[in-house]
Amino acid sequence: MIPTLLAVAVLVFVLVRVIPGDVVELRLVSGGTFVTKQVVEAERARLGLDKSLWRQFGDWMTGIARFDLGTSMWTGAPITHEIGIRLQLSLQLALMATLIAVAVAIPLGTIAAVRRGTWADAVVQVISVSGLAVPSFWLGILFILFLLSYFHWLPPLTFTPLWQNPRANLLQLIWPALAVGYRYSAVTTRMTRSSLLEVLREDYVRTAWSKGLAGWRVVRHHALRNALLPVVAVIGLEFAFLIGGLVVTEQVFNLNGIGKLFVDAISHRDYTLIQGLMLLVSFAYIVMNLGIDLMHAWLDPRIAYQ
Amino acid sequence: MITPGHAQGRRRRPVFLALVISLLVVGTAIGPTAAQQPRYGGTLNFIVSAEPPSFDAHRETTFAVLHPIRPHYNLLVKFDTQNYPKVVPDLAESWTASSDGLTYTFKIRRGVRFHDGSILTSRDVKASFDRIIFPKGDVVSVRQAMYDVVDKIEAPNPNTVVFTLKWPSPSFIPILASPFNWIYKADLLDKDPHWYERNVMGTGPFKFGEYVRGSAWTGVRNETYFVRGRPYLDGYRALFIGRAAAQVAAVRSGQALVEFRGFSPSQRDEITQGLGAKVTVQESGWLCNNLVVFNTQKRPFDDARFRRALTLAIDRWGGSRALSQIAFVGPVGGIMRPGSAFAPPETELVKLAGYGRDINAARAEAKKLLAEVGVPDGFEFTLKNRNVQMPYEYVGVFLVDQWRQIGLNVRHVVQETGPYLADLRAGNYEASVDFSCDFMDEPDVQLAKFISNDRSPANYGNYVDRTLDRLYNEESRTRDPGKRLQLVRQFEKRLLDEKIYQIYVLWWQRIIPHWTSLKGYKMTSNHYVDPDLEVLWISD
Repeated sequence: MIPTLLAVAVLVFVLVRVIPGDVVELRLVSGGTFVTKQVVEAERARLGLDKSLWRQFGDWMTGIARFDLGTSMWTGAPITHEIGIRLQLSLQLALMATLIAVAVAIPLGTIAAVRRGTWADAVVQVISVSGLAVPSFWLGILFILFLLSYFHWLPPLTFTPLWQNPRANLLQLIWPALAVGYRYSAVTTRMTRSSLLEVLREDYVRTAWSKGLAGWRVVRHHALRNALLPVVAVIGLEFAFLIGGLVVTEQVFNLNGIGKLFVDAISHRDYTLIQGLMLLVSFAYIVMNLGIDLMHAWLDPRIAYQ
Repeated sequence: MITPGHAQGRRRRPVFLALVISLLVVGTAIGPTAAQQPRYGGTLNFIVSAEPPSFDAHRETTFAVLHPIRPHYNLLVKFDTQNYPKVVPDLAESWTASSDGLTYTFKIRRGVRFHDGSILTSRDVKASFDRIIFPKGDVVSVRQAMYDVVDKIEAPNPNTVVFTLKWPSPSFIPILASPFNWIYKADLLDKDPHWYERNVMGTGPFKFGEYVRGSAWTGVRNETYFVRGRPYLDGYRALFIGRAAAQVAAVRSGQALVEFRGFSPSQRDEITQGLGAKVTVQESGWLCNNLVVFNTQKRPFDDARFRRALTLAIDRWGGSRALSQIAFVGPVGGIMRPGSAFAPPETELVKLAGYGRDINAARAEAKKLLAEVGVPDGFEFTLKNRNVQMPYEYVGVFLVDQWRQIGLNVRHVVQETGPYLADLRAGNYEASVDFSCDFMDEPDVQLAKFISNDRSPANYGNYVDRTLDRLYNEESRTRDPGKRLQLVRQFEKRLLDEKIYQIYVLWWQRIIPHWTSLKGYKMTSNHYVDPDLEVLWISD
């Protein structure tokens, strides 16, 4: 894990500094005010941007070793605080979208596989292909227009934590969760269907049928469990993606999440915040991969990790 | 211009139309700020399209710090939003100027309290302006250069502040009324000059409530505010919504009553169609504009004849009619905002290159000039622009079309703000769309951008013109308004008609649709000075 994170750190540190423009110019000059070069240079020095790249990287690494990601160059607030206040929303949204996706995808994918070639399979195919074709942000815009036009109502624009006001929280997040969950479920449905179809062709399943076991029992106990191995991998990776990848959807619903923070950090050239966010997302992927591996071992006893 | 919105489409009915027309007549006659009895209570929800980088206005340049945080503070003197550009006392009770115009003495109100209960004195005012004009150590003050005229600030007693100037300046009082000049508490600045970057402590009509980063900023009524009976609102909530479509949806749904920067014509129409008479639209010329800066170090932009051909090719009057339908641009003007005190009348304006009403004649002259300079038909150059759709990209596309009509082939390169600014400051461009936005109509402020680039950091044209510098110096030190006007005209003629280092395209048009239930709001020419939440109230 540590070598991977270190490689990500080096790559991100270099890449963000290749992009032209810097945080001081954007902050002090973009408003059109007459800021002298001396003021710009003084601010650069205050942020440590006048130091050599080696020195800046060294300072950052030293901070990380102490679990200190530093402060945002744009706002001056600690990076952990900036991320912390958004992570709650992003995690909840990712979790809700995953629950919706799993609740829809596993039954639909199973029905499509078991009833392959029937009208049920065709309906599921239409639903899942539509989900793949429709971007979640576009679906989100449709939700908003629908709610606004027919109910003159819009989901709350500010985030309320679940434990403070569950109703307000769910009223805000259910719509983006549905928009994202639909696309997510389409991917998972197709993966469930194809994986289950493969397993259903296996000899041990044929044996189970021929022994006269009940159909649902064969599917549920013998086929689906094994078919879930690739599905779990897809769910895990999608979940990690959702933590920082809902850039446009968050903008559509005005959600103060990690994706929006990413965009702001890049447009502000907030180097320290971009670095912190990239480490967070990398860490999320690594943890999810580990989780997927553990799930595989639990689902398939033949898999053992030492 | 203030008009209530109107319903459109299938809901139109004669009775409804009559109602709208009568509202229009009444609304235009008396406006939304008519003498109704203000109602106390309620929370004003409004949109801010960006977030404040810090809480310290002395170091920031964006309206995003003013709209949510300014209500916690007072200024020494301020623009009266109901009678803009009149400057009125705020924390100052009154002021006097010496006969030579070099000394301004301000009497500070007695008994004004900071939100922590401590009394404001002249020491706080002096400490705040010292920080703005004479910053020490690593304190950043982006407006330091604006106050070159100030020699020293003194606080001879707790209720008096004296500013001594190096030369008499007619713009001193309006510049002092900058909405960014918040008065801080001296004790806090003494302890930590950066304290105000992350904290709030003022004397304003609203106390700090809560800030949820990326979401909202709230203020609550200051019960001990020094203006009796103010504010009217119980509080306010500034919602941070960046996307224009989400802003429109927020206003339409009633989750926000207004956005104080401005909407585009199509967004205005979307809101008025959705809300009908529940919405009132205010429009005004905006103290912002798009201009084009030429890199005078590159050929053929180093030749004034070529630059003249470029300005002659632009049909500003036609462009104003067409673009104002789709973007918040419109008014045609020179270096001063059309309609403002120092702006030329149209009879004068049309004499400047590129401002004539006969576009065919202007373009014929432009083609002759191109031939003189030796620029061939189909000559290619690049126009750089900022990736801000409204209105930069509209203006850029318009320019490309206008220059194509005199045989020039222009590549329109749209850049993200970071690289755009970097290229502009490094001189890495041939022609570039630029902009300026100010908080007051004042030649000292608007002309400063165009003096030689060794004096003005905002002049990206890479030229030195001591005549412009001289005219600027004379104008800024002349107390006779008539003579100032003459000097401004001379400056304008040299910049836009003779040398043409930079050209104006169109000034912006500010459009604010807001719920009619929001009362007391009267828009000004810029989004820095207003809103003044102290005078706003909600009718129901």
